[in-house]
Amino acid sequence: MRRVTTFAAALLTGALALTACGGSSTSQTSPADSSSGSSSAPAKSKLKVGLAYDIGGRGDQSFNDSAAAGLDKAKADLGIEAKEAEASAGEADSAKEERLRALAGAGFNPVIAVGFAYSGAVAKVAKENPDIHFAIIDDANAAGPNITNLLFAENQGSFLVGAAAALKSTKKNIGFIGGVDVPLIHKFQAGYEAGAKAVDPSIKIQSKYLTQPPDFSGFGAPDKGKTAAAGMYDAGADVVFAAAGGSGAGVFEAAKTAGTKAIGVDSDQYKTADPAVRSVILTSMLKKVDVAVFDFIKSATEGTYTPGPRIYDLKANGVDYSTSGGQVDDIKDKLDAFKQKIISGEITVPEK
Amino acid sequence: MSTSSASSTADPSRVDDTGMAVELRGITKRFPGVVANKDVNIAVRRGRVHAIVGENGAGKSTLMNTLYGMQRPDEGTIMIEGKEVAFHSPSDAIAAGIGMVHQHFMLADNLTVLENVVLGSEPSRGGFLDFGRARSRIQEISDTYGLDVRPDVRVEDLGVGDRQRVEILKVLYRGARILILDEPTAVLVPQEVEELFDNLRELTGEGLTVLFISHKLDEVLSVADEITVIRRGTTVDTVLPADVTARQLAQLMVGSELPTPETRESTVTDTVELTVEGFTMHNLEGRAVLDDVSFDIRRGQVLGIAGVEGNGQAELVEAIMGMRALSSGTLRLADRDLSSWRTRERREAGIAYIPEDRHRHGMLLDAPLWENRVLGHQTQPPNVKGPWIDKAGARRDTQRIIEQYDVRTPGVDVLASSLSGGNQQKLIVGREMSGEPRVLIASHPTRGVDVGAQAAIWEHIRQARRDGLAVLLISADLDELIGLSDSIKVILRGRFVADVDPSDVTPEQLGSAMTGAGEKA
Amino acid sequence: MSPRVDLRRLVLAIGAPVLAIIFASLVTALVLVAAGDPVWSTVTTLWDYGSQPRTIALTLNQGTTYYLSALAVAIGFRMNLFNIGVDGQYRAAAFAAAAIGGAVSLPKPLHLLLIVAVAVAVGAMWASIAAVLKVTRGVSEVISTIMLNAIATALIAYLLRKVKVDVAGSNNIGTKPLPESGHFPGIPLIPGSTLDVYGFLVVAVLAGIAYSVLLGRTRFGFDLRATGRSQSAAVASGVDVKRMVIVSMLLSGAIAGLVGMPQLLGSSYSYSLDFPAGLGFTGIAIALVGRNNAVGMVFAALLFSFLDVSSVILDINDISKEIVLIMQGTIVLSVVVVYELVRRYGIAAEQRRVSRELTRTPASEPEGARA
Repeated sequence: MRRVTTFAAALLTGALALTACGGSSTSQTSPADSSSGSSSAPAKSKLKVGLAYDIGGRGDQSFNDSAAAGLDKAKADLGIEAKEAEASAGEADSAKEERLRALAGAGFNPVIAVGFAYSGAVAKVAKENPDIHFAIIDDANAAGPNITNLLFAENQGSFLVGAAAALKSTKKNIGFIGGVDVPLIHKFQAGYEAGAKAVDPSIKIQSKYLTQPPDFSGFGAPDKGKTAAAGMYDAGADVVFAAAGGSGAGVFEAAKTAGTKAIGVDSDQYKTADPAVRSVILTSMLKKVDVAVFDFIKSATEGTYTPGPRIYDLKANGVDYSTSGGQVDDIKDKLDAFKQKIISGEITVPEK
Repeated sequence: MSTSSASSTADPSRVDDTGMAVELRGITKRFPGVVANKDVNIAVRRGRVHAIVGENGAGKSTLMNTLYGMQRPDEGTIMIEGKEVAFHSPSDAIAAGIGMVHQHFMLADNLTVLENVVLGSEPSRGGFLDFGRARSRIQEISDTYGLDVRPDVRVEDLGVGDRQRVEILKVLYRGARILILDEPTAVLVPQEVEELFDNLRELTGEGLTVLFISHKLDEVLSVADEITVIRRGTTVDTVLPADVTARQLAQLMVGSELPTPETRESTVTDTVELTVEGFTMHNLEGRAVLDDVSFDIRRGQVLGIAGVEGNGQAELVEAIMGMRALSSGTLRLADRDLSSWRTRERREAGIAYIPEDRHRHGMLLDAPLWENRVLGHQTQPPNVKGPWIDKAGARRDTQRIIEQYDVRTPGVDVLASSLSGGNQQKLIVGREMSGEPRVLIASHPTRGVDVGAQAAIWEHIRQARRDGLAVLLISADLDELIGLSDSIKVILRGRFVADVDPSDVTPEQLGSAMTGAGEKA
Repeated sequence: MSPRVDLRRLVLAIGAPVLAIIFASLVTALVLVAAGDPVWSTVTTLWDYGSQPRTIALTLNQGTTYYLSALAVAIGFRMNLFNIGVDGQYRAAAFAAAAIGGAVSLPKPLHLLLIVAVAVAVGAMWASIAAVLKVTRGVSEVISTIMLNAIATALIAYLLRKVKVDVAGSNNIGTKPLPESGHFPGIPLIPGSTLDVYGFLVVAVLAGIAYSVLLGRTRFGFDLRATGRSQSAAVASGVDVKRMVIVSMLLSGAIAGLVGMPQLLGSSYSYSLDFPAGLGFTGIAIALVGRNNAVGMVFAALLFSFLDVSSVILDINDISKEIVLIMQGTIVLSVVVVYELVRRYGIAAEQRRVSRELTRTPASEPEGARA
């Protein structure tokens, strides 16, 4: 009994400490708060925006951060007031609902939910608060007169970096690393593979997911990314696409060690990654969550809400590939040709 | 038999360095309910092998733990090399030059001798392990004392005798000048014993002092320069080997008092109640710890088993109780074959069990007395009704035991750990005598209990015999064994080696038979 | 004299956790001060939010889940078995129950019964793997259940893809939602709250009573507790320890199977990617704080649930909600320390009391007197 008790306590404390470390400190008061008279602030009463993150929150080096960037820009440019809240690992739906309710109850309008996990919660809370406008990223299922769905054509952007990978691969062997094995990431994989095959139908594509749900650590585990990528490079790949959030840092390290290339995701990682590994980043698949968040807030300040899906695809410039570092300059023409064909509908990129 | 007559027989070359290596004066150590050591006085000369002999439970281990700093004495002083010391931990004792070689080796099998020796006192030079220096030092110690230890052999490849020498070398490496060897021959075969004794002579020849703990009298007589006898926690005498015979030494060990009140009017009937047939058990190394052990116990008979501890008694008892698996053998209760029955079924069939170690096997110390009443009788009234525990019934019956067996306690709800050893044991005896048992297995029933409780427990065993139970009694207290048993069998290395008639044997004779001295009664 | 003994023990039993919680609160307050957050307003914020009817209902709902998890862990604890695998067991059970429950249609009571029975069976089966490994091969249940948690995760991910139902436009995947006949009706227990309390609360209460009766009143419970207190003494008393390991792991796993049910039958109606995870570990903490006692764990579950539910409001008020994790961690640590101190004090005090009461009895009583 006592042995077990002591052991259990030690183990739990360890686990709790880790959780506490993992969760970054959140809810900084917005820097824009103090500078209330921001230049472009509209004359009418300040817009109060609530933003609920998924697990990881601000500082996850991934799409939560991307949403945060959009919010920060809105604070700076539009002079809005904002409140951020973050999810805990493994929490129940009811906790997500309560987070949205609390934001709504505290007078924040609109409320933005980051991530498909909020789908059910948004649908429910939006119904209870018909006067408040909600936006949800990456989910089309939650629908209502006061819900805007911010959606991305990740498959289209991934198509372009897939094509880039195939064009740059000398060994005709490329890799795909997904952070967590969920349908959203399957979309990245589908586009990437289609793009690569469009260049070279015989190309070899290795793919791997770092974790299985409910273990979402694959979006923030550079060590896992590094191991998986090193395995792919060993097996002959010379370009690997890391659609794995913060785990991508490990993929870049592995590429550096192996003297090969990698492709970043979500933001232009050539600019954000550790300068030591920047040289391996061929390009990044841009998923402009920041733009979507900013656009949504901007239209809110103008008093115009459009419920229903807003699709950020290549045409809307919601997804793209990056050119920083100049490593894809030589194939830019080919990539842009693909882009035009997708926009014109000549190429349809599969979603799964 | 006094120490003053020493010099005439001892080796003259050693007599001169007569400084005292260790002196213990008036050491007393009490544990709750028992006095383990009482007014112990021992003087050990430098450069001698000094043996400390006594029965199991006489207090030898407590005394050595005190000397090695594992316990602090309640009274008395310890002097090392003429200076008074107070040890707070074994490391203090090691620093004072005392080393302990335990009965059970504490070596890591998968490491080499060298690694085992330096473990815990790793040699370093500038932060790096310096095995070269350690190796040469080990070689030097080995050569000096003729230990013949090769530093780079893995311990798992060594025999028992070699391992023991590694243990000795290990304490020497840490700078010990005084070595305590706790029952060092228990694990050795005769040739190895001879080699060990040669090693010990080398050690004392180089001026080291050896404290040799044993109860094997012939060995003690052959190796020791002086012998101190401990009985019931106190020093009885210190003698020279030349002045005593094994028989006299045994008498000192067990005391000359004869068994307390004997009830010799026999209650032994013709009905065989318990039959043990061909019990054989092997340990993990494949050695037989029980070797074809057979006996019958009749109704109203007490069969005593005499033997030095560790010769198969514990295994025999646990095999009878179904707690350990036999390699082969049959157990019968009257005419039923219980060999394949589980422990619980055996208990339900009427086998009562007073275990050797009541804290390990007899009680739940964290539980109240009434729950301890239920223990072992979880399926029997008045403790249960069907699948339910009958708390009221169990409590009532606990109260009955408390009264009938004179368990000193304020109530049935106190935790078992609050009672003294004697009262705990009386509760166990009372519990085991409940429910009309047919057989009683009593293993060291009065170990560690006070004199009053001892007398009471003896009486309960006699009562059980009068009531027609078949009793198996195992005890290290030879007076107890002789006084209570109707017949005695001597066990040695898992085999019965002698039958003894308790009405016609002295403790000394029995003691000799136990140690295999060949003096069969 | 026995009522007095009980009173003394009761005071110790209640005093210990209270002491631990006070200590944990002090530590948490210090952390808040160090971080520059206002202590008092943190407390009032938590309390104001936590005492709203809706939050109380949420606390009860979350507490129901926590309590079941703690019960599952506690059964193992009582016999010195450390079932870390409650986490994997409840997830596997909830997944299987959701998949099967969504695939069949039956009249209401039967449908619910089937779902719960599947969950209980799968939970027990998953736990039995660790039990069999321990009994036959001597594998520590700590190691095997940790491994089985990971295996459960992978297995569920694999199977979920086989049975998933796509929802148009959603990036989530889940099992087919349970039909209405598989919904456990809620109870409008809290006046003023629009939120019903999970009907499964009733099952949790019944499970707590069953746990208490089974361990405290039955032969089986006695054997189990005896094994936990001293395995060697239990063996000598005739307990078949291997059988006990199997049976208690099966029981623990069966209750673990219930852990996901309040959520599945009361609110989500399907097992999807965001089904709550990690409840098994919360259960370990609650079992420790509640001292494996059926009533103690109720309070511990409600305390943890209150803290978790109320932590949502902290973010909104610019206080880092990780403070709640710190508080929970400190409670667990201080509880273990305080319980051990109290246990030692209790034993020493009792020994003193026994010797005092015994010396009061007349010394003239003859040694070894007997009836």
